[in-house]
Amino acid sequence: MKRILSSITDGRGFDVGLVSLPLAFLFVLSGLPLVYNVVMSFQEVDMFSLGSFSRPFVGFKNYIDLFGQPETWPILLNTAIFVTASIAGQFLIGFGLALFFWVSFPGASWLRGLFLVSWVMPGLVVGAIWNWILSGDFGVLNFLLRETGVISGNIFWRSDPSYSLWAVIIANIWLGTSFNMILLSVGLSGIPKDLYEAAELDGANAFQRFWTITLPMMRSTIGAIVALGLIFTLQQFDLFAAITSGGPNNTSNVTQYWAWDLSFRQYDFAKGATISVIMIVFVMFASVVYVRSTRHEVRG
Amino acid sequence: MGIRKYAMLGAFALASFSLSAFAASAEDVTIRVWSLDRDIQPAPNLIKDFNKLNSGIKVEYRQIQFDDVVSEAMRAYSTGQAPDIIAVDNPEHALFASRGAFLDLSDMIAKSSVVKPENYFKGPLASVTWDGKYYGIPKATNTIALYYNKDMFKAKGLDPNKPPQTWDELVEAARKLSDPAQNVYGITFSAKANEEGTFQFLPWAQMAGGGYDNINSEGAVKALDVWKTIIDEKLASPDTLTRSQWDATGTFNSGNAAMAISGPWELDRMLEEAKFDWGVALMPVPQAGAERSSAMGDFNWAIFANTEHPEEAFKVLEYFVSQDDRMFKDFGQLPPRSDIAIPATGEPKKDAALQVFVEQLKYAKPRGPHPAWPKISKAIQDAIQAALTGQMSSKEALDQAAEKIKAVLG
Repeated sequence: MKRILSSITDGRGFDVGLVSLPLAFLFVLSGLPLVYNVVMSFQEVDMFSLGSFSRPFVGFKNYIDLFGQPETWPILLNTAIFVTASIAGQFLIGFGLALFFWVSFPGASWLRGLFLVSWVMPGLVVGAIWNWILSGDFGVLNFLLRETGVISGNIFWRSDPSYSLWAVIIANIWLGTSFNMILLSVGLSGIPKDLYEAAELDGANAFQRFWTITLPMMRSTIGAIVALGLIFTLQQFDLFAAITSGGPNNTSNVTQYWAWDLSFRQYDFAKGATISVIMIVFVMFASVVYVRSTRHEVRG
Repeated sequence: MGIRKYAMLGAFALASFSLSAFAASAEDVTIRVWSLDRDIQPAPNLIKDFNKLNSGIKVEYRQIQFDDVVSEAMRAYSTGQAPDIIAVDNPEHALFASRGAFLDLSDMIAKSSVVKPENYFKGPLASVTWDGKYYGIPKATNTIALYYNKDMFKAKGLDPNKPPQTWDELVEAARKLSDPAQNVYGITFSAKANEEGTFQFLPWAQMAGGGYDNINSEGAVKALDVWKTIIDEKLASPDTLTRSQWDATGTFNSGNAAMAISGPWELDRMLEEAKFDWGVALMPVPQAGAERSSAMGDFNWAIFANTEHPEEAFKVLEYFVSQDDRMFKDFGQLPPRSDIAIPATGEPKKDAALQVFVEQLKYAKPRGPHPAWPKISKAIQDAIQAALTGQMSSKEALDQAAEKIKAVLG
C-alpha cells in the first residue's frame, strides 16, 4: 500500500497519472467522436435517429452510394487542387516574407507582427471582404487588373466555373500566409549565425548559402508547416461559405464544405460522416508527416 | 416508443393530478417557445404581451439562429428536450410532420374559434399540411415579384406603367434596358447554389406546368432556357450564380440593374437607398393567360408531439393568431391570411408594392411539402447552375435533376 502511495506521489505512478489525464481528455473529446464518426459512416442515419446509438448497419452502402454520385470525383479533385495550391502559395509567399524580414532593417519585427492581423481575423469576415474584392462587376481585383491592362473584360471570379475554385484559393493564401511566415521566421532565427559566417569566409554566395544552409537547417520546420498547412486547409470552411457556397455547380465545392452541406443542409448525416472518414485518412497522413518532422525537436 | 408513451401518460396523469390537487396554489403551466425572431420581431413581443394576461400559462422564449433551427430542433427532439412550440421554415415543416414529431392540430383547429383554415392563403396553409392534416399554423409569409426602375423604363422608351407581362416581354425589356457602357444590367435575380436558387426558379417551372415532381417537363426546360438566355446575353450579371437575393437587389437599388426579382423584405431598404422611381409587378408568365405562380417563404408555428401541455400550447398559438393583424403594422411582416387587409403606410410606392405582393401571394405555392425537401432542392440548384454555366443543356440538366428527385421520391 505504502509502495503504491509513494509511487503516486513520487515515481512511476505520478508519471502515469500525469499522462493519463491528457490522454483521457484526448480520448473523450477527440477519440470517441472520431470512432463515432466512423461508425456512423456504416449506418443509416437520419435526424430522428441521431439521438440513439442503435441504428441499422448498412455495410459499405454509404461509400458505394457516395462514389456513385456524379459530383464526388470532381469534388475530390477540387479538394486536391485547393490543398496543393493553397499550401504552395502560402508557403512560398510566407517563406519569401520570412526571408525578407530576416534581413534586419528598422521596424522589421514590428511590421512582421502586423502581418499576423490577417491570421487573427475570423474566416467569415475575411470571406465577406474577399467576396467584395472578387465581385465580378464592381470588384477591386478586377478594377486593378483592368487598370494595369492585364485583362480587358471583367473576370467573374466567383461565378465562372473555371475561376471559382481559384477565387477561394486566393483568399485562403492571403489568410494563411502570415501564419507560415511567422513559423518560418522562428525557424530561421534558430539557425546559428556562425554557419553563415563560415560559409561566407569560404566564398559561398547568397544562393549557395540558401541552398546548402538555410533549406537543410529548416527541414523540420518546413515539414511541420506543410503538414499543419494540410490540416488547416482541409479545415477551411468559412471562405467557401462566404464566397462561393461551393458553386457554381460544385465547381468550387470541396470535401469539407460538402460534408457540412450533406449533414446540415440535406440532413444526410451518414454521407456527411462518410466524407469525413475519407478526409480523416488524409489528415492521418499529414499527422504522420508532422510527427516525423518534429521528432528532431523533441530529441534535440 | 412504448415506454416513452407510458412515461408520457404518467406525466400527464401526474400533471393533471397535481393541477386538480393544488388548484388553489394554481401552479402556472410553462410553455417553451423557440423561434428565430429578434427583439423587434413578433415572437418575443407577442409572448411578452401574452404573459401580461396572467392566463395561468407562462411562456418562456428562446431565440435560435436561422442556421440552427432544424439541427437544434432535431437534437432537442431526439433527446426529449424539445420545446413545446417552435417556428420552423416552411419547406422544413413536412420533415417533422411526416415523422410524427409535430402534433396533429386538425381537431383543435376544427374546434377553435380563432384559427380558421379558410382565412389563410392557400400556399402557407399547404405548407403546414401533411397527409391531409394540419401539423402547424402559418406564422408569416412572403413571396417574390418583379421590381422595376420606372426612370430607366422611360429613358429607354418603355412605358413605365406597362411592366413586362410575359417571359418574352421580360427578356425583350431586359435587352432594351441593358446598357453595359453605363454598368447597367437588364435584370437581377439569384440563382445561388442554396435554397435561394430553388426559391427563385421553382415559380418559373410551376408557371409553365412543371413542378418539383415534374422538373424536366417541357415548360420547366423552357423556363431554364429563358434564364440561360438572360445569363448568356449578359442581361444579368454572371455573379447571379453566387449572389444572394439581398445582394442582387442591392445592385438594383444602386441603379446597376433595371429590374429585380425579389420579395417584400426589400421594401424598406429600397425606399431608403433607391434614388429613382420604381414599381412592382406580378411575376411575368410564360404567355398571356398562363397560370400564375410564385414562391412562398417564411415560417410556420408547430407544436412538438411530445409536449406535456398540448392544450395550453395551442392556446398560446391561438393568441399569436389573434394578433395577426399586428403583424404588418408593428413588425413589418405579412400575415399569411387573406382576410386581413394590409393597412396603408402612407408611403405611396410601398403601398402600391404591397398590393402587388398581396395579389401575388394568392398564387404562391409551397416548396414541397416533402420530408426530403433539401435533397430535392439541391438537385434543382445543381441543374440550374449546370445549365447556366453552360456545362449542360437545360434539358440534360433538368433530366439529371428529375432522375435524382425520382430517387428521393421513391
